[in-house]
Amino acid sequence: MTFSEKIDEWISEAETRPGSALMILKLVAGRLRDLTERNEELLAENIELENGSRVQEYQKQIAHLEFQLEILKRRFGEGNNESQAGQDQPDSLQLLVFNNDGRLLRLDPGASSWMDLREAGQLTGQFASNGEYPRLLALSANEELLLLFSSGRVATRKMSEIASFEAGTSWEWEQISLPEAPHGAESLVGIAPLSELAVSQFFMQTSRQGAVKKTLCSISEKILSNHYLGRGAVQKTDQAFEVSLARKNERYAGLSREGRLQNLGVEGLSFSAEERLKLTATDHMVAAFIIHAGESLLALTQTGKVVVRDFASLETGKSSSAHGQALISAARLEQGTRFIGAAACRPQDLLVTLDEDGRLAVHPVQEVTGAGAIQSEKNFVGLGRIPVWEKKA
Amino acid sequence: MGLKVGLDFGTSNSGVAIFDGQHVRQLPVDPGSLIPEVTRTVLYITRDHRSTIGQEAIELYSRDNINRQRRYVKQWAGEIDFHGAELDYVRDIFVLVDELKPGRLLQYLKTALRKDDYPGTQVFDRFYPVSSLVQIYLAHLKKRAENLLGQEIEAVTLGRPVRFSSDPQKDQRAEDLLRQAANEAGFKRVDFELEPVAAALDYEQSLLRPENAVIFDFGGGTLDIAVMRLGEGSKRQIYASGGVDIAGSDFDRAIIEKRMLPFFGLGKVNYQPEIQELIRAVPDWIALPELATPMNRATLEKAVRAGLAPVRLRALEAMIYNDLSFTFYNRVEAAKITLSSSGAAVISMEDKDIALWELYTRHQFEKDIAVYLEQVERVLMDTLAESGLEPGQIDAVVKTGGSSNIPLFHGMLVRLFGAAKVRETNSFTSVTAGLAIRAGRKSSL
Repeated sequence: MTFSEKIDEWISEAETRPGSALMILKLVAGRLRDLTERNEELLAENIELENGSRVQEYQKQIAHLEFQLEILKRRFGEGNNESQAGQDQPDSLQLLVFNNDGRLLRLDPGASSWMDLREAGQLTGQFASNGEYPRLLALSANEELLLLFSSGRVATRKMSEIASFEAGTSWEWEQISLPEAPHGAESLVGIAPLSELAVSQFFMQTSRQGAVKKTLCSISEKILSNHYLGRGAVQKTDQAFEVSLARKNERYAGLSREGRLQNLGVEGLSFSAEERLKLTATDHMVAAFIIHAGESLLALTQTGKVVVRDFASLETGKSSSAHGQALISAARLEQGTRFIGAAACRPQDLLVTLDEDGRLAVHPVQEVTGAGAIQSEKNFVGLGRIPVWEKKA
Repeated sequence: MGLKVGLDFGTSNSGVAIFDGQHVRQLPVDPGSLIPEVTRTVLYITRDHRSTIGQEAIELYSRDNINRQRRYVKQWAGEIDFHGAELDYVRDIFVLVDELKPGRLLQYLKTALRKDDYPGTQVFDRFYPVSSLVQIYLAHLKKRAENLLGQEIEAVTLGRPVRFSSDPQKDQRAEDLLRQAANEAGFKRVDFELEPVAAALDYEQSLLRPENAVIFDFGGGTLDIAVMRLGEGSKRQIYASGGVDIAGSDFDRAIIEKRMLPFFGLGKVNYQPEIQELIRAVPDWIALPELATPMNRATLEKAVRAGLAPVRLRALEAMIYNDLSFTFYNRVEAAKITLSSSGAAVISMEDKDIALWELYTRHQFEKDIAVYLEQVERVLMDTLAESGLEPGQIDAVVKTGGSSNIPLFHGMLVRLFGAAKVRETNSFTSVTAGLAIRAGRKSSL
């Protein structure tokens, strides 16, 4: 039935029962009013499209996606089909040693494999800065780094821009390159691999005093162009400690020097900095990372004692501020036991340790967890993880 | 001795009443309904086989089903034996089941009684024969009535159409099923009265002198006619009775078929038989929910992507996959009811991807159901002829049932018998009241 036939039928009704005419008129007028309003809405939308505000919005989204694509390309190398996301084998991973003075040392296993290298080298000179020892991070050679400074400033550097050294020798710390020198009184506090940005939803920041803050990755372009992420701290005296990237269904773990562990669901965390771990005046964070199912939390004391907690056994923190789970007993604390670092590990992974003499050593996780300790004449001051992926048959 | 009530188990609506010898008390069995004495004949059964009726059922269904998520899983449904010339083998049959479906809403239970090709229905893991569905409904109604009366109801006079079906075997089967359901619902004694006769009993209460009356009971499922002599106490006589299974649900269907299907793609999709089949199923309240399969969705999505009437097919998809059909049928029915008192009504619905608006006039409605007018008139005149009375010998034509208010049929009655003879009764409660009177009189015998 055509629309004009329909109108003829309406007219027939009005002719048969003139009383219906008014009713039909009212109903049609009501419909006309609704359609006029709707038409106005559509015209307004059209104007938005024409004047570009809607286009700008879409362009922004496209730019963000292009940016993420670019990051992924850099991560895996354009045209390199052999490398797949997160599939770097330890041989292609390089060890980044960095301190809060901003110096970055890139170590390459060279012809050897990290699995074969027990002694990865030695740092000499003043590698401790203001009582803080260098931190250790294993990353791909193609990685792009996000450097976080204590002021909340961020900068990006390609791994390839940092001078590379072959592992197994010794390096004078003062000779190590300073690719992004801290401004004024600020210090380099954390490094995150930027290639994960494309598959992450949040920047997770941890402050030295246990505050946690998440920031949407969707505004990463703005963050990087403004070179500012924020301190992520509540107290004025507090400062940024670590930055990592996370997805909403992941779990975040933070460990303090005195053994306070906080394990939290990323989704439930606040977008503003919140004190999630109440630390004593003598305590501060030594590790903060994302932990996945199948991984264990492995923490190392300065004397080499290893504490392992399975993912499943980690208590998830509920309250906004808590003392966390204690991993060091009161008696041990009194004796001076302290954690120097922690990492989320799988059994096949490798650990890299730094002792106070500057010696870097590699240990299989299985060996370490089996023995329950890492033997060393000197106290440990740093811990890092070199991930190893099982080769698929 | 327990109470005896009158119960009108209608196609669209039901009700319960009790007679104390002087007055009929209609029981407000559905406090949530617009008229609490009238409850919709709908039954909602949840996945854990809990059930509810009336307005509560509709609300529960709407809350849990409309625009809900779906998740299909493959379930073993049985096996088929293949017998070849030299080889016999058995093949497993699997069906896709929506495991998130919270429940099923069942309506037109009375119509199902007369359908011998509808033995019952599968509700999740359990098969419910028609008598069980009716039994559950009646049990709820009985319980509600008992709560209102504060006493156990032992017996019931149930209304039944003059003809459930024109086939005597089907007619007897339907009555037997209804009796069985009532017994299983807990009524120890069950008797029947013809619905138009029940309406006559209610009407008779107001008579001052004897009359020859035509009872024109036109409800949701059937048209029932009785020609009777009323007002002479026990000398009450039924001269003739007749009926046909034409009623309100047929008119709703006619509106949908003639006016609504273009909104879902009819006329725009000409070379896609599988989509045409989906469109044609819109008026079918039994078939439509069963069509919500992943395969049909893929077919619709493909057509939408190809730009084949995308707005209309999206509306069809929303109707099928968002459980909006019940809302849609109600909108159509509401417009039909409006047309009994008004010259025009609007059938409109805006939900998900459905945005329909149709101005529908009484002229259009009468054109769409004109075919039924002839049939109804024929049945009426046949029944009158059977009674041996001429239209001039009829003193009153008593209308009851929602469809009797449709002006087309009212006009027919006026044309045949004269305006002065056509009497109005309460369309929704007169049968229940008459059944209560019958129940009260029988129990006092």
